[in-house]
Amino acid sequence: MMRRPRLDLRDQPLAGGQPLAFGIGLAVALFVGTLLLLSAGHEPLKIYTRMFEASLGDPDAWAVTLNRAVPLGLAGLAVAVAGSMGLWNIGAEGQIMTGAIAASWVARIGGEWPGLILIIAMLIAALGGGGLLALGPAVAKAKLGVNEIITTLMLNEVAIRLAQWLIHGPWKDPDAYNFPLAPMLPEQAHLPTLFSRAHCGILIAAGVIVISSVAVKYTAWGYELRIAGSSEATARYSGISLPHKVLTVLVLSGGIAGLAGGVELTGTADRLTESLSNGFGFAGIIVAALALMRPSGVAVVAVLFGAVQIGGQSIQTLGVSSSVSTILQAFVLFGAIGAGVLSRYRILFEGDTHAVPEEVNK
Amino acid sequence: MNEASLIGLFVATVSFAALLYLAALGELLSEKAGVLNLGVEGMMAIGAVTAFIAGVELGNPWAALAIAMMSGAALASVHGFFTVALGAEQVVSGLSLTILGLGLAAYLGKDYVGQPHGTELVPVEWAGLSDIPWVGPIFFSQSPIVYIAILMGVAVSVVLTNTRIGLALRASGESASSTDSAGHSVLGLRLSAVAAGGALAGASGAYLTLSLTPQWAEGLTAGRGWIAVALVIFGAWKPGRVGWGAILFGGTLALKTRLQTFGVDFSPIILSMLPYVLTLLILLVISVRSRKRPSPAPAGLGFPYRREER
Repeated sequence: MMRRPRLDLRDQPLAGGQPLAFGIGLAVALFVGTLLLLSAGHEPLKIYTRMFEASLGDPDAWAVTLNRAVPLGLAGLAVAVAGSMGLWNIGAEGQIMTGAIAASWVARIGGEWPGLILIIAMLIAALGGGGLLALGPAVAKAKLGVNEIITTLMLNEVAIRLAQWLIHGPWKDPDAYNFPLAPMLPEQAHLPTLFSRAHCGILIAAGVIVISSVAVKYTAWGYELRIAGSSEATARYSGISLPHKVLTVLVLSGGIAGLAGGVELTGTADRLTESLSNGFGFAGIIVAALALMRPSGVAVVAVLFGAVQIGGQSIQTLGVSSSVSTILQAFVLFGAIGAGVLSRYRILFEGDTHAVPEEVNK
Repeated sequence: MNEASLIGLFVATVSFAALLYLAALGELLSEKAGVLNLGVEGMMAIGAVTAFIAGVELGNPWAALAIAMMSGAALASVHGFFTVALGAEQVVSGLSLTILGLGLAAYLGKDYVGQPHGTELVPVEWAGLSDIPWVGPIFFSQSPIVYIAILMGVAVSVVLTNTRIGLALRASGESASSTDSAGHSVLGLRLSAVAAGGALAGASGAYLTLSLTPQWAEGLTAGRGWIAVALVIFGAWKPGRVGWGAILFGGTLALKTRLQTFGVDFSPIILSMLPYVLTLLILLVISVRSRKRPSPAPAGLGFPYRREER
């Protein structure tokens, strides 16, 4: 007779469970990808070699991967900061857009400013633009308890259309032969490069991630944040003002996502486009989840995820449809989600002893 | 603005409303059982592409519709497996499902881009009714899927409010542990609701390629899945209200491409923000009112259920 399986909470999460989860995700993706590639008549080994070479094979490849990891990491950080308090910011996609819009606006005003001042002003504006889009959901959540998942999700669509409207209307470049394009940024507004094509956005992202990581882990502010995330009641008893925390954390989260938009604009995009956010906001949610909402983990996951994306794009030159890389990404995600669950739970079969002491159960 | 173009606007409003309604009904079923599925866009894309391929290969639109619904249900079951059986985060799994669905749809459909459609669902002619001016073309010359959408709305409403299984399903979304105690399988109920939701999203996608735009192209769903997610909230998780919301939102979709013909000097891009802005406003109204009465959202929405954590 078949015994029915069930999930049982482990006393301790499996040591190294999350890296393992990502590894299993990759393995699942490689397996499914191999089947997919074989069925389409490609040589999997050749294609995987190309993916690796194009994303991590040499300094030039690393440069492209790191440039991709910047928006992924900042968006992931934005989600993780909110996530460490148990809040979901699904609006990074839109906040990236409003961040880029605000930065473009500064570039329109400050076309004659010296480079350093212009770039700093643009990045500050980007922070503000992202924070502003998160302000509405933050107030609604803090004052009225409105579910932030839905409000931030809805505002994505609004923000993307705002950018579309600007590009098709008031900000349309008169020299672009009537194409709906925003004008290029002034020359001095580009982020300086570090090596090969890597721009110094990676330093900005790394700096912000380190600061946030320390703030969440070691400061009183971060401690309160994590308490509020684990138990509302405990937080209230210890005198933490929840509405105030919700407000600041969500706005901060939006600001970080906005910064991602600003850095992407000055580092890579060179002009405001409809597709500037490019799914980074949604990918950021996944990056944060794989990093278990820990700001410190976000950096590593962002680089790996960036490599998967860049590697996936590179195989188009071998005649592999871009959809294959999208599917591979999805399988990395599902593999990692599944493995992540199993690192915290184990499978027991009906009749096995329930090994978890009562107090461990939440 | 002449009579024909105004009728055209209303015909398109009803068509778009049905498209959104089917997907939103699916999302409603899933959310009523406690499972938020943000993969609607992906499930619609899979429905659209499988319906198109089946239409070309089999030449039978009804078989194509059935295959699209099964594909939608199968894809949704991936979300069901991870969120219901394994208890993974619904938000993360749902977004991954969108990526998977869009990727799979693009992959499956790559040889069919730009091909002529194999078959189409012919609009139903309702004998004399279709000839009535105004009312005829708007309500009685639509694709069969429009009438299916209305029937589905009634069916979902009746099942949820008047049947034992509907009650159990709603209960599993409100309080999973008491549903379990009452002897129902929360796992079974939630998995079925998610799969049924996927089938409806698949049907919605099929409507695109079998009636509305009988062609396949990547990005055909164009963000309508997100409107469907918004609609469920806009309609306060009630099939009837979601239906009225679908007509309103469908109207904005229909009007968007017609503003210029009507000589209205208003940006269609700004108009397309309307469904989301309206949903946000409704959310605010709901939450201000919910200080006096309970929120219409299922209480257990978003929470995985594991028996030993009861």
